Amino acid sequence: MDVLALTPLLAELPTERTHLLDNLGRIRREVGPITPELSDALANHMNLRLGDVHEVVSFYSFLQVPVTTYRVCTGPICDCAGSRKLLEQDGAMEVPCLGHCDLAPVATRGDTILPGGEDRPVTYATSVGPALGLEQADESLTDYERRGGLAVLRALPTAQRIVEELKAAGLAGYGGAGFPTGLKWESLLREPAPRVLVVNADEGEPGTIKDRYVMELRPHLLLEGTLIAMRALDCPEGYIYLREEYATARARLLAAIEELRAAGLLDGLTLDLVVGAGAYIAGEETGMLESMEGRRAMPRLKPPFPTQFGHLGRPTLINNVETLAHIPAILQNGGAWWAALGRDGSSGTRLWSISGAVARPGCYEAPNGITLRELIDDHAGGATEEIGAIVPGGAASGILPPDALDVPLTRDALREYGSGVGSAAVQVFPRSYPVLRLLSETMRFFAEESCQKCTPCRIGNRALHHLFEQLEHGEAVMPRWQVDEWLLAMEKTSICGLGQASPIPVRNAMRIWPELFAPLDGVVST
Amino acid sequence: MVEFTLDGRPATASEGELLVHAAARQGVFIPTLCHDDKLEPYGGCRMCVVDVEGAPRPMPACATRVAPGMVVSTNGSTTDFRRTLTEMLLTEHLDPNPGGRPNELTDLAQELGAEAPFILPDAKREPYEDRNKLMGYEPDSCILCNRCVRYTQEVMQCSALSLEGRGGEARIVPTWGKSWLDTECELCGGCLSVCPTGALHEKFLTGADVEESALTKVKTTCTFCGVGCQLDLNVDPATDRIVKVTSEPHYVSNEGNLCVKGRFSFNFVHHPDRLTEPLVRGEDGELHPATWEQALQVAADGIKGVIARHGTQAVGFLASARLTNEENYLIQKLARNGVGTNSVHSCEAT
Ligand SMILES: Cc1cc2nc3c(=O)[nH]c(=O)nc-3n(C[C@H](O)[C@H](O)[C@H](O)COP(=O)(O)O)c2cc1C
Ligand code: SF4
Ligand code: SF4
Ligand code: SF4
Ligand code: SF4
Ligand code: FES
Repeated sequence: MDVLALTPLLAELPTERTHLLDNLGRIRREVGPITPELSDALANHMNLRLGDVHEVVSFYSFLQVPVTTYRVCTGPICDCAGSRKLLEQDGAMEVPCLGHCDLAPVATRGDTILPGGEDRPVTYATSVGPALGLEQADESLTDYERRGGLAVLRALPTAQRIVEELKAAGLAGYGGAGFPTGLKWESLLREPAPRVLVVNADEGEPGTIKDRYVMELRPHLLLEGTLIAMRALDCPEGYIYLREEYATARARLLAAIEELRAAGLLDGLTLDLVVGAGAYIAGEETGMLESMEGRRAMPRLKPPFPTQFGHLGRPTLINNVETLAHIPAILQNGGAWWAALGRDGSSGTRLWSISGAVARPGCYEAPNGITLRELIDDHAGGATEEIGAIVPGGAASGILPPDALDVPLTRDALREYGSGVGSAAVQVFPRSYPVLRLLSETMRFFAEESCQKCTPCRIGNRALHHLFEQLEHGEAVMPRWQVDEWLLAMEKTSICGLGQASPIPVRNAMRIWPELFAPLDGVVST
Repeated sequence: MVEFTLDGRPATASEGELLVHAAARQGVFIPTLCHDDKLEPYGGCRMCVVDVEGAPRPMPACATRVAPGMVVSTNGSTTDFRRTLTEMLLTEHLDPNPGGRPNELTDLAQELGAEAPFILPDAKREPYEDRNKLMGYEPDSCILCNRCVRYTQEVMQCSALSLEGRGGEARIVPTWGKSWLDTECELCGGCLSVCPTGALHEKFLTGADVEESALTKVKTTCTFCGVGCQLDLNVDPATDRIVKVTSEPHYVSNEGNLCVKGRFSFNFVHHPDRLTEPLVRGEDGELHPATWEQALQVAADGIKGVIARHGTQAVGFLASARLTNEENYLIQKLARNGVGTNSVHSCEAT
């Protein structure tokens, strides 16, 4: 039955393995959830082994569930806002952060976002931003051009000039790792052309909503940054890897790409959307490349880095949505101008996703080096409850105590707290939300999203989840010295950032709230 | 030739050589679990991590190629990591001995003095029963090193095993959890041969679950086809019967790989109907034991008789598919030069 329904579609589906994820997504939308029969039929069509497709289907969370499934976010902010109540609905599926934390608790049905679980419109809370201008949405390419858009793309500086400006700006990637963008572009230029550009629009770090804001409000801005990179760096092939849950962003990007194509701005280039299927780890750059090549999104060993050996082995630049969106303003006004927007020794502005116990959760462009207090009071309308803990930049960035409210949010200042700015997703938890619950939920997330490739992450995160669940009941399953050893092994021997960073919030919490971990000292090792 | 430093001593490696191999040649043994020489470097279990000067974190020796001037230390902080990683693996290793095959994880645990501090609450995996009679799989022994799956993809190219799912629910299963018999599996047993824990194991004859170290290995050549794979018959000294067949990666012509015949079709050896000496049909119409000389003489006389009555073209030679190239050459020589007929054929040709 299913397989019959697939037959007419099948003939249209391309057979290169790089289209596997896309083909599976189309079958899911047009025929139904991927069953073993559908998977096998596609494998035969694409001349792949049946098992190769099975492995891939099973890796992603959404391919085997209907498009119309009611999905409830149980990310930390939504959990804190009581989203688990929404799970009582029949057939509800638990999913990690949906990237709409400003509307928590959220659910989705199909392509519709349901703030509070209800059919309400999605709203945006922004501030006037000098570089990205999110305060005003662009409805069309004409809107965008009227605000000065496309000027840089139409009078493109040389690659060398661009690299110089990016270095002068001090722009460092906004995907979470903070790698200097100028250096990355320069290292790509050292590799032979033609090269490939991949835009990381998989925004999955819990609490992070900023890339969605950019894509929904100013899609042309992202695309101008993307096309600048493609033209300047000789990348005839470009991809935007977008998380499946961002349906509005998908529609807006597709429409904007068509406008740019009609204006002749894509001539000689291909720019394709690749839609994910529910896997946080596909946001890790080499996991993303694996995913795009039709395999499980399991990160590769580095080196070699994507700039050296990327998509199908070619030199590949991977940049985050927001990183690319800053580039038109930097090149328009100069790197020095952008750098001067920063504070406390850091450069430029960035988008801060603010969620949790604040009056106006949203996405605000503000200087690097701003303090939490300013973000919360001046932008997000102030705290609504007594603050218990703050996660400054996504699940893996760490946990800060309320007394860090006046610390400038810079890499250096936060290092003292053993924490980082990460993806600048500031999550404000009220005192009423137990820290152990936050930790245990965070570890559950890492455990469920771990790709399973390496031992320390695969088992370490499950073990930590178990440890914190038991600690919530005042029991310890292993002694402190052993916890420390396990955390060190995770940090030092995990393959990718997921396992390497997940000890950070744990170590932070152990230092800030030692009383919560007292039971660890009572365990005598066996 | 590449020069580098290993544990404070000068060492050499060949161009592009993996650290784990170069170290082994200098007598430094780095433990591995997910590594297999037949497979592309994977670097998943992290058991082989070593310190490399200048690298931000330890590097997997199984996936790192020696570079000139590299300064490598295998006995610093990474020895602690090995013990910790072993402890981690033990927290879900519920069944250490499912089928008699060696278990590299428990060996390592013993060597390093590692124990599981607790058992993970989700350690128990869904049981897997398979109606095939040759290969068994115990999910509770699997350490998800992915060697078997990578073997099915990179060597056998059957992809009949999958690493299914993600997170704590991930597991190894034949395609879509079906029986191997309903997948693209050809029952070569290769995936089983690379499993470091014995989670994949032979379930062929009684005795296959005897500890492999207690079996006597008899090296021989597979008689089933011209490839001539080298293999070890594993004989149970208690019963003097073959209980399984293994092969080693360094064996020529097959590098430890076998097909279903070589690996699993050895039960004929102990079969009561098996011919173990030549038989010649006597005047009484019955078969009688004979020496090779007598038997060959009877055959030669028969052929000569046919030639005498009907000429050389009345004789044809049909060679067995189990013969090698060289043996086939000799058969045609016997046919053309010895007998003088061109009617010669091997059933391998069809
Ligand atoms: C587990 C994990 C998840 C990640 N998820 C994302 C993501 O959703 N979006 C993103 O832009 N970068 C993500 N990254 C970072 C990317 O690997 C990569 O550093 C980034 O896309 C590079 O772009 P940038 O230099 O512009 O920041 C993730 C990294 C890890 C380790
Ligand atoms: S750290 Fe985790 S997510 Fe990253 S490769 Fe290892 S198992 Fe996969
Ligand atoms: S037994 Fe051979 S054919 Fe079957 S899954 Fe294993 S490697 Fe593939
Ligand atoms: S079955 Fe064996 S080879 Fe396969 S992943 Fe498990 S332990 Fe590794
Ligand atoms: S029958 Fe199989 S195992 Fe035996 S020699 Fe031929 S290929 Fe090798
Ligand atoms: S043997 Fe090197 S990582 Fe597993």
